[in-house]
Amino acid sequence: MNAPLLEVRGLKKYFPVRKNMLWSRQATVRAVDDVSFAVMPSETIGLVGESGCGKTTLGRVISLLLRPTAGKITFDGRVITGLRGRALHRYRHSLQIIFQDPYSSLNPRKTVFDIVLTGIRAFGIVKTKKALMDKAEALLTLVGLSPQYLHHYPHEFSGGQRQRISIARTLAVNPRLVICDEPVSALDVSIQAQILNLLNELKQQLSLSYIFISHDLSVVKYLSDRIFVMYRGKIVEKAAAAELFARTAHPYSKALISAIPEPVINQTKKTIILKGDVTTPVGAIEGCCFRERCYMAQAVCRTTSPPDREIHPGHFSCCHFAEQVAPPAGGGKS
Amino acid sequence: MRLSPLTKRRINRFFKIKRSVLSLAVLGVLYILSLGSELIANDKPILVFYKNTPYLFNAYIFHSDKTFGGQYDTEAQYRGLNKTAAFMQGSGNYMVFPLVPYSAYSSSLDELRGNPPTAPDAIHILGTDDRGRDVFARLLYGFRTSLTFALVLLVLEIVIGCVIGALQGYLGGAFDLVMQRLIEILSALPFLYIVILIGNVLGQSFGMLILIMAIFNWIGLSYYIRSEFLKNKQFQFVEAARALGVRGAKILFSEILPNALTPIVTFMPFSLISAVFTLTALDYLGFGLPAPTPSWGELIQQGMENLSSYWLSVYPFIILFLTLLLLAFVGEGLREALDPREYSRME
Repeated sequence: MNAPLLEVRGLKKYFPVRKNMLWSRQATVRAVDDVSFAVMPSETIGLVGESGCGKTTLGRVISLLLRPTAGKITFDGRVITGLRGRALHRYRHSLQIIFQDPYSSLNPRKTVFDIVLTGIRAFGIVKTKKALMDKAEALLTLVGLSPQYLHHYPHEFSGGQRQRISIARTLAVNPRLVICDEPVSALDVSIQAQILNLLNELKQQLSLSYIFISHDLSVVKYLSDRIFVMYRGKIVEKAAAAELFARTAHPYSKALISAIPEPVINQTKKTIILKGDVTTPVGAIEGCCFRERCYMAQAVCRTTSPPDREIHPGHFSCCHFAEQVAPPAGGGKS
Repeated sequence: MRLSPLTKRRINRFFKIKRSVLSLAVLGVLYILSLGSELIANDKPILVFYKNTPYLFNAYIFHSDKTFGGQYDTEAQYRGLNKTAAFMQGSGNYMVFPLVPYSAYSSSLDELRGNPPTAPDAIHILGTDDRGRDVFARLLYGFRTSLTFALVLLVLEIVIGCVIGALQGYLGGAFDLVMQRLIEILSALPFLYIVILIGNVLGQSFGMLILIMAIFNWIGLSYYIRSEFLKNKQFQFVEAARALGVRGAKILFSEILPNALTPIVTFMPFSLISAVFTLTALDYLGFGLPAPTPSWGELIQQGMENLSSYWLSVYPFIILFLTLLLLAFVGEGLREALDPREYSRME
């Protein structure tokens, strides 16, 4: 097996929060709490979880926008956590991020030409005006936009077109790993499919690796080789896409999968409704992070944190009862 | 440079507001004309034709008395030149004086009828001040001084206000907090006392006064810029630029600043108004520009002392009023053009 492109070990990102205005002790939000995984070259990782589970924070830490509190990120065999200034700058273009909101992610005062070339100019790779023009035209063509739009402004485009511009801007610096932070969740369903197909084509064409962040399992299922399920800052289950759906080994994943709407008439399907809401992960918790909402929780879950076990080859789960995960008996709703 | 459609729309909207465009045009033309004040009102001729040699622009080029057949190395006394023996000898010698043949600096006591201040007449259309200097010339030169002062101050204000406001908004946290407290201390200092104090210790001068005023005046703008940066820095395009490797200063000034221009543009005319007004007030009190500089405030102050000479207070007052009014019209038009809510336009 070849070496992983990106390896993350024990990654933590804590944010300090102040409970009341002054004097009180600072609490921490554990947005990303001890996460480890590896991404192979040309692999697409789907990262799912409900809002507030830390998937976006994880994406930002990996794309070097946030500094991790602890842990190690290895990219292409070199440790990149702790790098600063010029040394860090060298790695930026390899790790790129596509943002969720195509409206706020494009500067309204810049033309498509300037937006697309932001990265190239920052790295000073291409110098002559002619070469810049050619590059910009090539990028627009690559993402399926006509080069005639180069001198238009972002507000003249639809959401899907804007996301294409955003993708072009990202690809301009020849990244090796692209973190897609819910790139389609702000778009219409029909446009979603177009953008997903575009991302897929670009992956083949440019041999990219993706970390595809989404709260939508059906989107992730379509794209990903492997899927990571995240809950309260932890990755609770890691498995190949098909494996995750066939042999779900964590009650949270089970609940998520059961919530996917199926376009089949007259099929009664049990949707697992979880109790309560995601609580903000302030402070340390004892035992399993999911126990409060888990329909399978038992005494052991309250005291012992479940280890990350490999229950099938390549299939990891953080549950004491990974082997017995099944829908709750009669607990669901049809 | 290509203008964004939004900017184009705003410019178009501004040009539809007749009163503002007209005000801007009048101010602009007057200011450009006043830059050549030496050629409009001066006791040095535009052209001296002496011994078949033309001497042009004598206001800017020094010619000694000897050039025109005198005996001194000092500058030629042009007003009396045509009465000197050397000048009258040649037949083709002549001088062309500007429209108003009096400077703002020199008095023509020997030509005056009566004691200064003299009332307006055909020679001094707006009269003379208490030192016998032409009031029209002083108003004209004063216009240039006031607006130049205001414009230089504006540039300084924008530079300081933008840099500090931008850093405060972008960096936030401790820097913002500390700067904000420093600004509070600074704005609590009594401006007038400091002007008097520094004027006394270091001497009054144009540069010094601008510097002191710039130190105090950027504060207002920095508030706007700070809030714009606080608002804009959280947009994802800022983060996108960071991810693409754009460095700090470039993010500030090339990504965020273009989105924060609206308050600067709206702020400009009102800053000019306050600068012109403050300068006049300081000159009136005697703490402004050093003595011979032609200024409106100084004229109004003379009017105070010579209450019977109405032209010393009325004309500067009218000019001051008109200048401020025109500036306010421009400001109002700019504000309306940049206002996203069109219905709020006053008609």
